[in-house]
Amino acid sequence: MPVQPVLRYPHPILKKLCNRVEKIDQNIHRLIEDLVDTMHDGPGSVGVAASQIGVTLRVCVVDVSKNRHGKENNHGLLCMINPEITGRCGLATMREGCMSVPDYTGDVDRATEITLLFNDPDGTIQEITASRFEAVAIQHEMDHLDGVLFLDRVTSIKTGLFRRKSY
Amino acid sequence: MTQQSDILHYAVSVVGKDRPGIVAAITGGLFNLGCNIADSSCTMLAGEFAMILIVSLKRPFSKSRLIDELKPICDKLGMTLGVRTLHADEIARQETDSEICMISVYGADQPGIVYHVTKELAARSINITDLNTKLIGTAEEPVYVLMLEVALPEGESPEGIEQTLAALKKELKVEISVRIITPVAF
Repeated sequence: MPVQPVLRYPHPILKKLCNRVEKIDQNIHRLIEDLVDTMHDGPGSVGVAASQIGVTLRVCVVDVSKNRHGKENNHGLLCMINPEITGRCGLATMREGCMSVPDYTGDVDRATEITLLFNDPDGTIQEITASRFEAVAIQHEMDHLDGVLFLDRVTSIKTGLFRRKSY
Repeated sequence: MTQQSDILHYAVSVVGKDRPGIVAAITGGLFNLGCNIADSSCTMLAGEFAMILIVSLKRPFSKSRLIDELKPICDKLGMTLGVRTLHADEIARQETDSEICMISVYGADQPGIVYHVTKELAARSINITDLNTKLIGTAEEPVYVLMLEVALPEGESPEGIEQTLAALKKELKVEISVRIITPVAF
């Protein structure tokens, strides 16, 4: 399936609350394929949420296994439908950026360990506990499903000093 | 579309005793001129408020018009004003994939902490992108904290920087730690 263009703020869809998936069908499977392809296409991308490719459904994919921060500790490719965080603990700050908000990065506090429930593409309910970098990535992607950007969570800002070529 | 050459850039700095309304007064003046604030950093240092702004305007414009607008505002607030014209090559930035490191230095206050640390970094061509210092602790036991963000040149590593600064750490009896804080793009 094709790689989809990633929407950039101020595209209004990025601030929309996404709807629950009621039925996991061919369309959802196609959407997941698009999300995975789009994630693999983004340089160093470790996750994409459906709203980032213009679909306001509660679906996101995360794969930190190839990232230096996540390769030691991960669940591989996670395709999550209607994910819900049921427990969180710990707090750590990481400087985040987002494909939908280029040229900007900022420090964000997030839980270091989360327990979550979601439907996998077969419709089976999965429960996992993710920690460290993978937990941060999942929280970042799940925020997209609520129309929340990392800009809404920044505790200190730092502009992309080295990515912007000119004003 | 406006060509880059039609845009003039200035570096504006304003410093003075802190009070409510400084930013509104200065940016009000800039707004009246039709100025864009392209980049800025404003912070309180001790009781002083310091503003540094890169502003841009369409030609025709002159530095004196900027000063004419801002100087009376600054005088009224008792603040100093600095304005410098930036050339096009100062505005353009090189794209690099440098790792960004945070270096924490802290210990008993003494003269020269900032100088000695930054001299070592300069000798290795390590560029400082952000720096702040704070005097904390008590009058009897003042502690100096220096936080630096640096861009690592090719071939440098956090361990390498720690090694470079190891002798200094011993000599100044300060704690020094280095860690990568390169942003992660999701």
